[in-house]
Amino acid sequence: MNVTLAVKQYISKMIENSGPGMKVLLMDKETTSIVSVVYTQSEILQKEVYLFERIDSQNRDNMKHLKAICFLRPTKENVENLIQELRRPKYSVYFIYFSNVISKSEIKALAEADEQEVVAEVQEFYGDFIAVNPHLFSLNLSGVARGRSWEPTLLPRTTQGLTSVLLALKKCPMIRYQLSSDMAKRLGESVKQIITKEYELFDFRKTEVPPLLLILDRSDDAITPLLNQWTYQAMVHELLGLNNNRIDLSRVPGISKDLKEVVLSAENDEFYANNLYLNFGEIGTNIKNLMEDFQKKKPKEQQKLESISDMKAFVDNYPQFKKMSGTVSKHVTVVGELSRLVSERHLMEVSELEQELACQNDHSSASQNVRRLLQNPRVSEMDAVRLVMLYALRYERHSSSILPGLMEELNRKGVSEKHCRMVTSMVEYGGKRVRGSDLVNPQDAVAITKQFFKGLKGVENVYTQHAPLLQETLDQLIKGRLKDSHFPYLGPSSLRDRPQDIIVFVIGGATYEEALAIYNLNRTVPGVRIVLGGTTIHNTKSFLEEVTLTAAAGQAERLQRAGGHPNRR
Amino acid sequence: MASSYPPPFEGTGEVKEGFLCPLCLKDLQSFYQLQEHYEEEHSGDDRHVRGQLKSLVQKAKKAKDKLLKRDGEDKPETGSYESFYYGGVDPYMWEPQELGATRNHMDFFKKHRAARIDHYVIEVNKLIIRLEKVRTLAQTTADNHKLFKSVVAWVSDSDVPFCPDCGNKFNLRNRRHHCRLCGSIMCRKCMEFVPLPLAYKLTSGTREARSVTGSQSQSQSPPTGGGGNVSGMGSRRGSISSLSSVTSMLEEKDDERIRCCLHCMDTLMKRQQKLEEKDHVPDIVKLYERLRLCMDKVDERAPEYIRMAESLNAGETTYNLDTAGGLRMEVQKYYELIDALSKKILTLGMKEEPQPHQKTLQLQRMVRYTATLFVQEKLLGLMSLPTKDKYEDLKEKRKQEQEMRLTQERLVMAQKRRQDSEKNRPAASTNGEAPQAPRAPRMTKAGGWLPSSDTLHTCGELEDPLLQQIDNIQSFLRQAKAAQRHDEVAMLEENLRQLQDEYDQQQTSLAIALSQRLAQEESLQQDELQRLEDREREHRAQSQAPGSQATYTWQGSLNLTDIGSLHGEEEGEEEVTPKAESSPLSMRAFPALTDQDEESPPRLRRLRGDVTPPGGEGQNSSSLNPFEEEDSTPVEDPSNPFFEEIQKEHKEVANGKKEYNPFEQEEGGEEEQGQAEGATGNPFEVKEENNEGNPFKEASGCTPPGASTNPFEGEDEEAMPDVDVIEEELLLQQIDNIRAYIFDAKLNGRLDEVELLSENLRELQRTLQEQKSKTH
Repeated sequence: MNVTLAVKQYISKMIENSGPGMKVLLMDKETTSIVSVVYTQSEILQKEVYLFERIDSQNRDNMKHLKAICFLRPTKENVENLIQELRRPKYSVYFIYFSNVISKSEIKALAEADEQEVVAEVQEFYGDFIAVNPHLFSLNLSGVARGRSWEPTLLPRTTQGLTSVLLALKKCPMIRYQLSSDMAKRLGESVKQIITKEYELFDFRKTEVPPLLLILDRSDDAITPLLNQWTYQAMVHELLGLNNNRIDLSRVPGISKDLKEVVLSAENDEFYANNLYLNFGEIGTNIKNLMEDFQKKKPKEQQKLESISDMKAFVDNYPQFKKMSGTVSKHVTVVGELSRLVSERHLMEVSELEQELACQNDHSSASQNVRRLLQNPRVSEMDAVRLVMLYALRYERHSSSILPGLMEELNRKGVSEKHCRMVTSMVEYGGKRVRGSDLVNPQDAVAITKQFFKGLKGVENVYTQHAPLLQETLDQLIKGRLKDSHFPYLGPSSLRDRPQDIIVFVIGGATYEEALAIYNLNRTVPGVRIVLGGTTIHNTKSFLEEVTLTAAAGQAERLQRAGGHPNRR
Repeated sequence: MASSYPPPFEGTGEVKEGFLCPLCLKDLQSFYQLQEHYEEEHSGDDRHVRGQLKSLVQKAKKAKDKLLKRDGEDKPETGSYESFYYGGVDPYMWEPQELGATRNHMDFFKKHRAARIDHYVIEVNKLIIRLEKVRTLAQTTADNHKLFKSVVAWVSDSDVPFCPDCGNKFNLRNRRHHCRLCGSIMCRKCMEFVPLPLAYKLTSGTREARSVTGSQSQSQSPPTGGGGNVSGMGSRRGSISSLSSVTSMLEEKDDERIRCCLHCMDTLMKRQQKLEEKDHVPDIVKLYERLRLCMDKVDERAPEYIRMAESLNAGETTYNLDTAGGLRMEVQKYYELIDALSKKILTLGMKEEPQPHQKTLQLQRMVRYTATLFVQEKLLGLMSLPTKDKYEDLKEKRKQEQEMRLTQERLVMAQKRRQDSEKNRPAASTNGEAPQAPRAPRMTKAGGWLPSSDTLHTCGELEDPLLQQIDNIQSFLRQAKAAQRHDEVAMLEENLRQLQDEYDQQQTSLAIALSQRLAQEESLQQDELQRLEDREREHRAQSQAPGSQATYTWQGSLNLTDIGSLHGEEEGEEEVTPKAESSPLSMRAFPALTDQDEESPPRLRRLRGDVTPPGGEGQNSSSLNPFEEEDSTPVEDPSNPFFEEIQKEHKEVANGKKEYNPFEQEEGGEEEQGQAEGATGNPFEVKEENNEGNPFKEASGCTPPGASTNPFEGEDEEAMPDVDVIEEELLLQQIDNIRAYIFDAKLNGRLDEVELLSENLRELQRTLQEQKSKTH
């Protein structure tokens, strides 16, 4: 149940299969990201893979002394490109691996193109997903929904991605889905269909308790992706944007050339691995320690190395120093930029209110605070909009809702029309009407008492009060209390025991906050292993884009159906 | 041992062995063949059985790997588990993960390709044969259509009104041309020519030793390209009215070339390319192969050197300083070679006029980059050696340390004994091997048996892996039996029998040589034990029958074993394997211990191999037997010389911990052979050295190399007062290192560091000069 390891094992197996000698890795756009997330260049260089090429690139020379390892998604274009490649082979041998199920007819077409007998291997290795962390995967798909239904091309793609995760982990699961979401049901059926069709592939050793695939819909919890985050990984994604574990720092003022794009991978970066889930304050301390450590090791320019012993000490420390200097400069830059953004955008204040909106139940105080912050000129447009969205989602049906007033406020603040429209889109996307579970208003007595005690005791950290809905859902699932009426099984059989291996998939994208929740669950609940996946990993920005896309597509669809009412919402 | 697991088929008279297919009992020579066979023949059978077989085969494969100490294909998979993710990323324990599902399409692919290839090969061969005929015709006789037609039937003109390639209509101006190789028709524009030299080359494979006037065709003027010719002819055409003259002129030209169509030309060109590639090995490949060879050598030698250097720097006498120096030189030579080779690869083809393709350059850069990474990583880890004088100092210091530790230990021992007697723990026993209370003396004994003879020492090394394998197999066997996998059981038993045979043979020969000495030693031991026991009795307040105490001890440890394996089973099938592996070892050791005296010498010998584990062996067998643990702990926990003081609870905790990481154990077993040399060597040889004189010294002989502080620090303390007397060698080593750093820094463009480093270098060189002038 480690997705990163699964992909790594696939790739090292591919390389191993090809034997010694210089190699080139032929990939497509998507497999390039799949590979680059789990392997660094130097790691893969050590395995004698010296070149990385795109199958669709024209600028490739004949290099008959190289072996080619092709790792491709089984798409039409790829197969076509590969056929062309085999007709005029540029490399001596081809080891072909498809990241998903490929049809017999396509293999036949490939076989017929291989007149020179250069193909040594044709296999399916199911690494068709981006393994972000060991327990977190993404498919890097956005705009999966059109209103309330699937974007037609993306349902098969999502199914492929999800089934490849199952195959890579060797799990043939029972499927539960969120009843309120038609998309979840469709995806579940689609996955089930593949499992039935490829029953030979899914014939794994039976475990006592069968694994479970839980399919959820983002629209059930639209609040989590709207909140500011304060743990390292989530914060970096929220404020700087993590794309396949890379951050683009080119917009940071005064950035040096080699830090324009940095990789944050827990695989190779010890500091990151240790601080990934710590909050901003702790990271500040740790980075200070790191710096101090570094200063100690740093060879001092002025200090003359007078004796041999000085020299020796220097020489001994040098490699360590060298390794450290990269890490230090990277993290110092990142954390520096984060704290700059935090103070520039008044994120402490904004976040406090966000948490209040998300976790507390005091309408008058909330509305007052929202209004106050909206009037603060230094709160950015984006943050203002997200506060209003949170308010709208939270107090959607409150009797004395001040939403219209807040919208006016937004207008006055000069927030663009586009952003203002997003508020309505958001309510449409994640409002009460669509929610299956109750996101914010705890109804049962236990939850109310919990809330009450929370309020009484005060919270340890006002910025991290919020726990994503997913945590509650999984908690119930693990305890066997998740209601079948809300999360029915697909098919007749149901799980009697406590689930052990759980794969959660969120249509519309997961978040790093949820990844952290899963990480903690994995750590604290013995005997349970959970892997989280999503069509993508969201921060607020990407989530807003997703919602806009969904709403627009949904609107267009309805317009078509209704025969054109231009201003209909 | 063989008798304990009689093969199940023995009674039937017919014993089938080897890699039998479980369904048809066909004997296949290897696991791979069996697997293949199964997939081919029985793929339609019950899926469930197949899944079972698969896992079985995997397990058996594992077992086999262990048996043969094969570091083959499967090792990276099993070995890589713990390298991922235990360092802070994912503290929760994911179970070991096997490779995800895969599906192979190669058979299907091959089936379809074969049909295609047959067709293709026939076509090519046909073409080549015709080309050969046509070539001789073109060379020897004047152009004659009839002759050509005899090679291949020409398509009749009337059938082809348009050029099949470009679609232009044929008429008087646009004449039909026939391909000499396939007889098809094309227009002039679509026509190609095979130059005779090329034809000669292409057909040289089919033509045997037939001597042809090759020089003649070669000496002819090199044929001009088809395109150029066509245009030349086109321009002349206007001035020549007679068609026949045009024709004759064209035919004349054809003497040197063979006319053919696009398609034939294409096929021929492909063939030519293939031929060329077959013979041609590009420079980069040759260089690269040498580069890899050097890297392999370094991978092989460097660890050896590091081990030596570590040992030497700790003041041990296991290795010779000169050998280490020589090895260092050798490794450094390889580094230089790697550097030079990769540089050569980097600059390959740079000077040639048409610059190589940018991808070629990129490849060269990447190879170079990898080589530098390699050098950086490995060379920087290459520690320096102590100089001769330093080494003497180190040795002296170590000796002192050992003595100190020994006195401490003795103190501790005394205390401990008191404690033991207070707690009334079952410490001593009548049994000769029970090591609990008389620990120090026992160690003395260990020294007494083992190190004094080199033969003994080496046999210890030899037999350890064998024994271990036997153990492994036994545990597999038990597992397999529990899982009711009879075929696997049979297979494993076969393996076990073979191993044991081999082992027995080895042992008998050894035993004969050793039995005499053993007998002597035995009596010595008995005496000593007797003495110790007496002492124990004095210490003890309550007098219990020593025998019963002893049994109590055994039981305790056996229980521990059971608990351990129980735990293992709970944790899932995967983990059982390694854990169970160790349990039979200890279990077996106990009965062996009790009836040791009656046993034959080989048995004794083996027992000793188990119970007094030097180095690597100790780690493997230590997990469950608390007695063994004591032996090995000093080796494992070097920093704490007072380890013995720590109570038994601690040891048990340690046991538990060790069990937790089953892979390490397994690994240890696999790597043991490689390390045996160094790992087992150290403690022994030290013991040997100190052996004369004080027999108690051995106890501290176990203190590991790492116990002494950082070798550099130690050196520095002494080096400081007289900097002038820095050894030349040391300086040279430093210079080497600094050069490496400079190289590295330059490569990464950190100029400030380069400056700093080169200053250091200069200084060092100056010192070296001074030194030299002083000495001379």
